[in-house]
Amino acid sequence: MKKSNGKIAITMVSLFLGIILAIQFKTVNKTVGEGVLPTQRAQQLAIELKKAQEERDAALKALAEVEEKIKLYEKGEAENNVYAENLYKDLEKYRMLAGYVDLEGPGIVLEIHDPPADIQFGIEYSIADDLDLILQTISVLNAAEAEAISINDQRYTAFTEIEKAGNHIEINGVSIGAPIIIKAIGDPETLESALAIKRGIVWTLEYYDYNVHLTKEKNVQVPKYRKLKEFIYAKPVEEESN
Amino acid sequence: MNNTNKPNIIILIFSILLGIFMAGQFKLNIPTLTPVTLKSIQMTKNEIIALNNEIEDLNKLLQEKEEQINILEKITSGDENIIDVLNNELKKYKNLAGFLEVEGPGIIIMMQDNMAEGAFGEEFELDIIHDIDVLRIINDLRGAGAEAISVNGQRVLAISEIKCGGPIIRVNGKSLGAPFVIKAIGDPKLLTAAINAPTTYGYALKHIDQVYIESTTKDNIKIPAYNGRFNFRYAKPIREGD
Repeated sequence: MKKSNGKIAITMVSLFLGIILAIQFKTVNKTVGEGVLPTQRAQQLAIELKKAQEERDAALKALAEVEEKIKLYEKGEAENNVYAENLYKDLEKYRMLAGYVDLEGPGIVLEIHDPPADIQFGIEYSIADDLDLILQTISVLNAAEAEAISINDQRYTAFTEIEKAGNHIEINGVSIGAPIIIKAIGDPETLESALAIKRGIVWTLEYYDYNVHLTKEKNVQVPKYRKLKEFIYAKPVEEESN
Repeated sequence: MNNTNKPNIIILIFSILLGIFMAGQFKLNIPTLTPVTLKSIQMTKNEIIALNNEIEDLNKLLQEKEEQINILEKITSGDENIIDVLNNELKKYKNLAGFLEVEGPGIIIMMQDNMAEGAFGEEFELDIIHDIDVLRIINDLRGAGAEAISVNGQRVLAISEIKCGGPIIRVNGKSLGAPFVIKAIGDPKLLTAAINAPTTYGYALKHIDQVYIESTTKDNIKIPAYNGRFNFRYAKPIREGD
């Protein structure tokens, strides 16, 4: 009796093990795709990602070259003629305002690092969950007369949306993650005090355990907006447009 | 003795074999794999999609710039006039920068504080519209591709602040009081969805905070030109080669 008891136990355990293994394989196959190991898939994706990054860098470079060429043309032609030169200066100004020119100047850099994971309560959160704070930071910077703002090298324009996408944030359709680095050009003193005021943005961020560095800098560089924006719905009102 | 030991030995041998096989299996994977989770694979996938979108945008921009070069090249051959070219460009960027009054289809959103007495007992904070509510709504509208946005007749641009100041909200340095009328030009369907879909901020405001918020689509909305500050005192264009 004792002997068969042991056998039954072992049979049961083996059966169990078999079923669990089968379920495991099935689920992995279903979620990752049949016949592909997750590692292989990950490697493939890593290669694809690298290729896409290289392609983007190449496109950026080509774009910079073409823009330089246009600039030379416009400037060269404009210098022949006073009226054209004034037009060109105006054009540069509106391009700057629309966000289509790389800018540099004095300003501030605000770095927001995610809080360390809370060991005591096991709560983990990231700036991606606190988009409100980013929006408010930008609003405060604008109230302090910032002239140009970028978030992780994405120019903040009148068409820029800040959206949560999974664990990431998408800005101008480009996904970015922590740390968030907000750069603003303007009067460094005003910008700094606007953020560092008691119960202000820096205070709030630190209250929520974010690791915040705010520095004034003599030269901050803010890149241009890299998306083609054309108004499809909005048309200029004719009488006003001369 | 013999009878009871024999199966035990067989099981022992098989267990050892199984152990060796499993160990071998695990060992095999180690050089090619740092721990890969399905989540990280999904994240890489998303990143690739975002990058590809970016490349597409860049290519569009590149194409447009090349067309521009074509036009500029015609100047030297005398087919085009530099002043016409510059004027066209100026008009385009003035429009993009928000310095022209525009009209087109879009939506009008009315927001008003919750006037009901004692709707939340002591929690009257929730009944009032704050700057962040307006910021979030505008952010959602931008995400839906809004081309021009105004709040109570103030065009909202990249350099517009939206700040609470006691009973009013300041936009472009002007004080605005409730009710807030946000106008946006763009695809009316997308814009309406961005405010009314069940997962949006606008929906939460309406149904949880019970703020009065109503959107109507219109075929023709006029949005005024920007008339706030716009001089660059600190920001200068980055000149390559200087």
